[in-house]
Parts: sequence; structure tokens; C-alpha cells
Amino acid sequence: MGTGVKASIMITCLGDLFFPEVGVAMVTVLRRLGVTVDFPGGQTCCGMPLFNSGYHDEAVRVAERTVRLFAEAERVVVPSGSCAWMVKTEYPGLLKHDPELSAAARSLAARTHEFSQFIVDVLGVTRVESDFAGTVTYHDSCHLLRGLGESRAPRTLLRNIAGVDLVELPGSDECCGFGGSFAVRLPEVSTAILDKKLGNVEATGAGCLVACDAGCLMQMGGGLSRRASRVRPLHLAQILAGGRS
Amino acid sequence: MTTRAEFLGRVRTEMAKTRGLFSATPSPRPGHPREAAETVRRQLAERWPPALDRFRAEFERVAGVFHRVPSLVEVPALLARIAAVTGAREVVGWEAGALGWDLSAALTPLGLTVRSAPGGDGDAERLRHREEAARAPLGITGVDWALAETGTLIIASGPGRPRSTSLLPDTHVAVFGPGHLVESLEQVGLLLEAFHADGGAAVRGGTIAFITGPSRTADIELTLTRGVHGPKEVHAVFVDTLGGPA
Amino acid sequence: MSEKRGQVPFPERAGAALKDAYLQEALGIATTKFIDLRREAFEGFPQGDALRDRARSIKEATLQRLDHYLGLLADNVERLGGHVHWAGTGEEAREIVLRLCRDRGVKMAVKSKSMATEEIDLNEALEHAGVTPIETDLGEYIIQLAHEKPSHIIAPAIHKTKSQVAELFSKELKGRFAADPEVLTAVARKELRQKFLQADMGITGANFAVADTGTLVLVTNEGNGRMVTSLPRIHVAVMGMEKVIPSMIDLMVFLAILARSATGQKLSSYTTLVRGPRLPGELEGPEELHLILMDNGRVRQVAGPLREALYCLRCGACLNVCPVYRQIGGHAYGHTYPGPIGILLTAMLKGDRSVKELAHASSLCGACKDVCPVRIDIPRMLVELRDQLDRGRIAPWRERMVFRAARRGMQSPTLFRLGARMGRLLQRPFLHGGRLRRLPLFFGQWTATRDLPAVAAKTFSERWKDLGTP
Repeated sequence: MGTGVKASIMITCLGDLFFPEVGVAMVTVLRRLGVTVDFPGGQTCCGMPLFNSGYHDEAVRVAERTVRLFAEAERVVVPSGSCAWMVKTEYPGLLKHDPELSAAARSLAARTHEFSQFIVDVLGVTRVESDFAGTVTYHDSCHLLRGLGESRAPRTLLRNIAGVDLVELPGSDECCGFGGSFAVRLPEVSTAILDKKLGNVEATGAGCLVACDAGCLMQMGGGLSRRASRVRPLHLAQILAGGRS
Repeated sequence: MTTRAEFLGRVRTEMAKTRGLFSATPSPRPGHPREAAETVRRQLAERWPPALDRFRAEFERVAGVFHRVPSLVEVPALLARIAAVTGAREVVGWEAGALGWDLSAALTPLGLTVRSAPGGDGDAERLRHREEAARAPLGITGVDWALAETGTLIIASGPGRPRSTSLLPDTHVAVFGPGHLVESLEQVGLLLEAFHADGGAAVRGGTIAFITGPSRTADIELTLTRGVHGPKEVHAVFVDTLGGPA
Repeated sequence: MSEKRGQVPFPERAGAALKDAYLQEALGIATTKFIDLRREAFEGFPQGDALRDRARSIKEATLQRLDHYLGLLADNVERLGGHVHWAGTGEEAREIVLRLCRDRGVKMAVKSKSMATEEIDLNEALEHAGVTPIETDLGEYIIQLAHEKPSHIIAPAIHKTKSQVAELFSKELKGRFAADPEVLTAVARKELRQKFLQADMGITGANFAVADTGTLVLVTNEGNGRMVTSLPRIHVAVMGMEKVIPSMIDLMVFLAILARSATGQKLSSYTTLVRGPRLPGELEGPEELHLILMDNGRVRQVAGPLREALYCLRCGACLNVCPVYRQIGGHAYGHTYPGPIGILLTAMLKGDRSVKELAHASSLCGACKDVCPVRIDIPRMLVELRDQLDRGRIAPWRERMVFRAARRGMQSPTLFRLGARMGRLLQRPFLHGGRLRRLPLFFGQWTATRDLPAVAAKTFSERWKDLGTP
């Protein structure tokens, strides 16, 4: 039941190294929806950590490479709002010095989609069948919410799973404290912000915390694990894939 | 010390280095401010009843006390009642020329002394009136405009209408009529353009105060308290048949 | 002076703030309240978004003809009998005020809240010159008595309890006052009323200055703006040059969104339009009005990367939503202006080096940009600042090495894979139940408070071939 839609996975550095299961879940879900999935080899990082810390010349070089790597991809799907944001909004500016790269960046920006936005806006699917069951609460990661203006797609997908009960997270739009290198430059402040977030999460009574960004999941998951919380941090893809994710 | 030429020269030097961030214009302004203001006034003359309702709702929202009387005949007794609550025997108020009606003539028969500032410039008079305003529990003014959108009294200072009347006493009462009502800040902008037209030749005083409720602060533990430096209470008396601004 | 605070490294100041239990509670309550008030105000205000766009446009348009508007403003102020002074630096601005005090025999000056005067440490200069400055904004009055600096642009004494205020008043004003905001407000009213009536000079800032009419605009809730500009014989206004706006029509746009952004009010209790000293025939008001137009680092940004920061209305909305500010408060920033916009303003006024640490006091979450009434893209400029710190070799060389190495890893899949393999190897001694709990060196910054996931046994790239087709 192919849809004829082809998508290339941009796995992201954190996804590749720490959350491969999220990538696997993403592939499962996309294939279930009839998408032909491929994975351009040689991926590393989109360069956002360099960019955010102000190493723009370095970020330019990484952007150049990424743009070339995905030159042939019809569509690129990213399991991370921040990386999708980086490619869509920052790459064109970073590469504006070279007309060919600039055009390539703008092209890639248009072809790149965050995972939930790809499902809802590109595939036009709002209901993904999944056997996942339980009470979940959703955290709006900053770059997906503010950078890409998305708060509805993930919630729609979650609500439309029969066994899922979505509880709104108070302060869902508040930062989790990750901020990339911020988390290790100012660890005490980062942790104070995290504690506030996790207090809200646990107060919802949900068994599962869902997000669409590896950085947020690393930060919030790291905090939940440290306090031996029963709340499981999961990526949206894992909820949608269901099974024994 | 930097001169104007040096300062502006530096500004120009920097300006020359950039075209700015995006194409931008300031707000469009009326080509004929007086006509624009006249148009606003004419529209408002018809629409004042709903504007009054809106004014009242907003004024009360900011803790203003609203009164309505049919004519100036009822005003003195009302003012006397308000004065009695404050324990005032002496009040400060606008001069008849500024108010459009004679406050002193109205209140003296009711046992209240009205101190006004007829204008003029002497230091002695200034000091005297300052003391009067500082000890009077009640100050009575008119308004230039009553802004419905926000429940705001807009009051220009000038001869016979000193700033202290609505500032120093604990209680401020403003008396106005249908001709003073304005619906929106946007309209106020047009009226102010007209007010200042021709270099502000018609302007008689140095300030225009927009007063939205009593003086307030929440600087201590975010607890709201009133009457920090200005009045603790503001009353608006709407008189159905009072004429509009001069 | 205020730089004393800057000598303790920022992370330590932040750490101290995190441990201050009362500050934490006060910050939580205050910022949450301001956030809710602002949200409610804009929810019931459908024109809000369009007005914010217009406000931004007006600010940009003004900068594009800044010399014209400043000239027009000055001409109009002078035509009305006011004096205009041009201060290239903060020191010049101070000098102008001090000279006026000397020449006019000023012994006591009452001040309405002005961040511009905070910026140039005017109070200390006045005291040093034998002039007594009295802050009249209740929050500023409190911190003045306490010999502290403001911790929030709008609510300077947010960090003080009512008991602390009562104690302070009791001590400084020689009385015994209950820890009741009503009582304390009444004490301040009485005390400061005397000062207003006796002061020789009133000193203010200006929220806006309307070029077309020569009008200075003061936005307050307490009434001190009106007092300070009506009772003393001299009024001095210190204003950053970027506060000029073209017309009264423009002013209404800003008034419609400023108070809503700051406190959720439609308008503050008092918006005062001041035009020149008192006019002939007008009994009350100052004999003299002096407007000091100040550069102090601003003009450099007209063509600089922080140009947008010149739009700032000083509403404080960005402070209230900033996850960092909400945790550490204003003092920890160590400069006059705290919070997200404060980092940019500090860089503007004191140079890049002054924000070497502060430029990273942000998770770049973007909440500030969301609420800014003039839509300043603060996160973008913070990243720009960070870039400048790198180019200027102000960032530590060790850090620059690390990032350069990281870039090489990102350009080479071989290096990247090698990195993964090394990670897997090196993490073994630290693995507990699939997670990393206590890592050495730099990584300890993370694991002190949070677990880290392990580098996966097989990365996604390594698993891809097992995922079948298509």
C-alpha cells in the first residue's frame, strides 16, 4: 500500500548515538503509513551546537556538508524539532555567501520536515493506529513550538490513539532547561529549570512523558531517571509505533 | 561637552552604514488634523451613550467610583456628599473659566470652601496654592476627554486648572459631560494631533495627564495598595447636560 | 560601584540565587503573576498582534531617520522653553546633571523611576557631590534605603519580603511599622510627600519623546512621575536617544501595548505628557526643563548587530517568561539591566567582553521573543553575540578548541563513528542499569544532577541495514 511518498531519515547526532530506538520507531511508523524510507549514509550532525554557541564559521562548514548529503532526497524527515528548525531556518542564512549553496540550502529547507509535521501536514494523516495504551503528557519543545510554530500536530496524533489518554502538562510551553551546551555551562540553573518541569510532569499523574526532541528527552529523561520516577520518557514516534517499544 | 552637531553627526555616520532591517514607516498622520478631530467629535456626538457605558465599565474596573446626574443642578449636593465622606471642609478646584461652571458659587452655600488658582505667576501665590492643595482632602476638576476604552480621564494643565488639583488631595473628583467622551486611544491620537497643531499655539499648560484610576503600587510582595503618591480614590461624575470641551 | 557585583563569576552568583529560598519563592510568584496578567490582557485584545507589528515598524522607521527625529524633538523642546543637552557618554550625562545642581543650588532631588539614570549610576554621583537623591517609586525607594540595586525592571524590590521592608523602614525612618503593605505604603506616601514638596529638582527618565510636539512621556502607576515634574522648580529628564518617536499617533500605538505587556493593565494609572516647563499663566510646574539626550553606547548599534535591541520599551515582559531569570532573579546578572534584553543592553553599553559569561545565560528557548511587544529577536542576537565573542577571542581558548574538534567530527563520518566507538568503550566503567550516573571531568557537569543515556550498543546508522526494505 505505497503512497508513492519517499522520505529520507535525518537521524540527528543525539538520535544516532543515544536514541536509535526512536529512529527505528520512526521507520516503523512511516512504513506503516506507506512511505518509502531511505537513510543517506555518512550522517553526523546538523551543526546546531556549533551555531548556538556562536561558532558560526564552523557551523557553515557543517551546513555545507549536510546540504550536499541530502541533495537527492525528495523529502527529509527529522525526529527533532531543533534540528529541523536549524535546517529550515538557519541553513539558508549560513550559506548565503555562495549562490549555489544558498539555493541548495533553501531547497533543503523546503524539503525538510519535523516528524509530526510530516505526518500531519505532508501525509495528511491525523490518525495513526497504535496499540500503545496509557496516560501520557506532552512537552512542547522550544524549537518545535516557537521555531516551527507547531503545538497541534503531536497532540492530535496522541489524542487519536484509542488507548491513549492525553493529560495537558501545566507549563508545557516552558523550557526543560536543555538548551544544548547551556545544560553543562550552567548546570545548576539548567537543573533548577528541569526540576520545575519535572514537578509539573509528575503532578499530572501520567505514566509517560512525550516529546519530539532528543535534547529535551535527554534532559528530562536524565532527571526522571535520577529521581527514579515511574514516568517513562518517550518520543512521539515510539508511542505511534507501539508494540513493545 | 558634546554639541548637537557632534551628536547628530555621529548618528548620521552610523545611519549611513546601513539601510536598516526592513522597510518600515511610522503611522500615517492626518493631513488636516483639525478636520480629522472635528470628524471624530461629530461621530462621538452621536455615539456617546454606548461610549458612556463602556467608560463606566472600564472606570469601575480600575476602582473608579462612577456617578451620573441629569444636570449641573444635582452636582453640588453630590460633591458635598463626597466631601463629607472625606471630612473635607476645604477643597481645591478648578477656576470657573477652566471648569465652565462656578464651583465656588455651587459649594460655598453648602458650607464648603473652594480654593482655586486663578492663574498668574507669583511665587507667593504658587506656594499658597500648593499648601491649599496639599491639605485639601478633595480636589475637583473637569476633564478634556474621558476615554471609554480604558476608563481614563485626560486632563491638560493650564491657567485656572493647576496640576495639583488632581494629584495632591486624597480624593479626586472629575466632572464631565457627553461632549468629553472619546471611544478609543486611536481617536485620542487624532485629537492630540489637532490639539498640538500649529506648533501647539492653543496649548496653555505644560502637561497632559492620562489618569486611569487611583494611584497604585504592588511593589511590596505584589500586594496591591492604593494612594502611593496620588489620590487614593477617583470619582467621575457624568452630567447628562453638561457642555463639551471649549 | 555597580561593578562590584561583576567580580564574583556569574555561575556562582546564579548558584547563590538558586539557594536563596525567599528569592526563589518571590520570583516564582511574581513572574507567574506577571505572565498571567499579560496573557489575559492580550487574550482580550485581538488588535494586539497588529499593534505589536506596527510598534516594531515605528521603531525601525524612527531609526532610519533618527537624526531627523532627534533634531525635530530638540527644536520643539527648545521652542517651548526647554533646554536640550547632548550627552555622548554616561559620564557626560552625569556631569550635566551635576553642573545643573551646582549652578542652581540644588540640595535635594526627587527621582521618578528611570533605568537610564540607574545605567549611569547617577545617584552615587549626586551623593558624592553633596546632593541628596530621593527615589520616589516605592520599589526604588525601598532598595535605595537598603543600598541595593533593582532586581527587576518593573518591580525593583520583588526580592524583598514585607517584613524586610517593615524592618528597613523602621530602622531608616525611626519608627515601628507593621509588616503590612497598606501600612508601609502609607508610611512611604507621607515620607515622600514631604520630599516632593521640598525638593529643588525632579529627575526622571522618559518612556517616549514625541518629536513632532516636543513631548516627554512618563508612564507610572504611583503618581510620582506627575509629582516630580510638577512640584520642584527644575525638571531634568535623562533619556536614551532611542526613545524618540515621530508623532502622537505613534504614541497611541505604544501606549496600547506597553502597560499590557508590563503588568497586564490597559494603561498604567498615570501616563503623563510633559511639554516644556510651565507656560506663562500656568501657576504650577517647573521653571526649567532640561532634556538630556544620551548615547552611552547606543549609536554604535544603529549599524550594529544589536540594532533591534534599540526598539526595547523596557516593559520587563521578557524577564518574566525567561526560564533563567525566573530561577536567578535580577541581581545575579550583575548589571543594571537583567534578563534576556539585559544581556543585549549590557553588551551595547559596556562592550562584548562584559557579557562573556552572560551571553550564555540562556537556553535560547525563545519565550522572550514571543512576548516582546516590539518583537525583538533576542535569541538571534544572543547567538550573534556568542559568535562575536568567538571571533573576538573572548571565549576561552580551551572551549574554542573543543568546538573546533567537534566540527571536525561533524565533517567526517569516520571520526564520528570513531567517537561513538570510543564513547562505548570509555563509558563501560560508569554504566549502571544502562545509564551513566557519575562521569568524570567536564561530563560531571551533567551527571551531578542528571543521568545520561549510554551511547547505544548499535547506533541507528549501524542498525539501518537490519531494518529491511523498502
